[in-house]
Amino acid sequence: MKNTASYESAGSGANADLADVDRVLAGDVNAFEGIVRRWQGPLVNMAWRYCRDRGRAEEMAQEALVRAWRGLKQWRREGSFSTWLFALAANVFRSELKRFPVVDVSIEDAPEPAARAAQEVELSLRQSEDAVRRAVLALPVRYREPVVLFYFHEMDVGAAARTMGMPEGTVKARLARARALLKKRFPHLEDQQAAKELAEKEA
Amino acid sequence: MMKPENLDRILGSEEELSPSSGFVACVMERVRQEAAAPAPLPFPWKRALPGMIVVGVGLVWCLVQLVRMGIAEAKTPVLITMHPATLMTPHIESAGAVAAALGVSLLSWLLARRVVGRRGLV
Repeated sequence: MKNTASYESAGSGANADLADVDRVLAGDVNAFEGIVRRWQGPLVNMAWRYCRDRGRAEEMAQEALVRAWRGLKQWRREGSFSTWLFALAANVFRSELKRFPVVDVSIEDAPEPAARAAQEVELSLRQSEDAVRRAVLALPVRYREPVVLFYFHEMDVGAAARTMGMPEGTVKARLARARALLKKRFPHLEDQQAAKELAEKEA
Repeated sequence: MMKPENLDRILGSEEELSPSSGFVACVMERVRQEAAAPAPLPFPWKRALPGMIVVGVGLVWCLVQLVRMGIAEAKTPVLITMHPATLMTPHIESAGAVAAALGVSLLSWLLARRVVGRRGLV
């Protein structure tokens, strides 16, 4: 699992970003490559969580980086570069998904895999977990983004709130509602987890 | 019911996706293309401002004239016997207003063409 939250406090990375931004603003276009190399992974992964389509995730991350290049002058340096970049990327991803939505089903219509035989427990559990991750995309928009960003930022409510430009309390409330919707939609997932643990003990 | 920690484990345990090998090159190509493109032309305020002032003054003048005409018409007593010359007056005034509006439109069109570097009426 990646460590996106640590980017916010990574001293050397932050210094490298500052140096590259200064060089870009001084007219050195090639200096932007350093920023792209450092942030390509987090941005592609963030975009992936918004759309769960690899090709589209790369396109959206690419667009976010190009917009960052265009708007580099607007970074006021009050917050960290990563916070500014993630907020900009979230805006880009949000508007991209408004133009071409990923799913048009409601959370109630998101499929839940049927229970499998004991020997297929592992596979069944994986499928169920994947279904839960995909179901996040079927949540109403106001609940979806807090979930995507909260887990992207390794369960850091503050980082997710900064990326969305929202108060932490609002993010917490929306997260709680999103969790409730997901738990209601997937009530049997706990049983499958218990079955897996039992199968492992028996083996 | 699913436990909260179970949901956290599922949603927090995403495998990391590696960007494709050409990703950096693609982004940098777009950035270089944009950097090489000529900067957008700024709006020529210095050249446009006199024309805009003239048009603005013209519009204000037209408005003042229209208001005056309205006040004058309200004050005029209703004539019981209409002389042919009196009947013609509103038509002539309307024609004047239309001509003035057309003149202002033509003037603004000529100014706009002049601002973008072309001669008017060509």
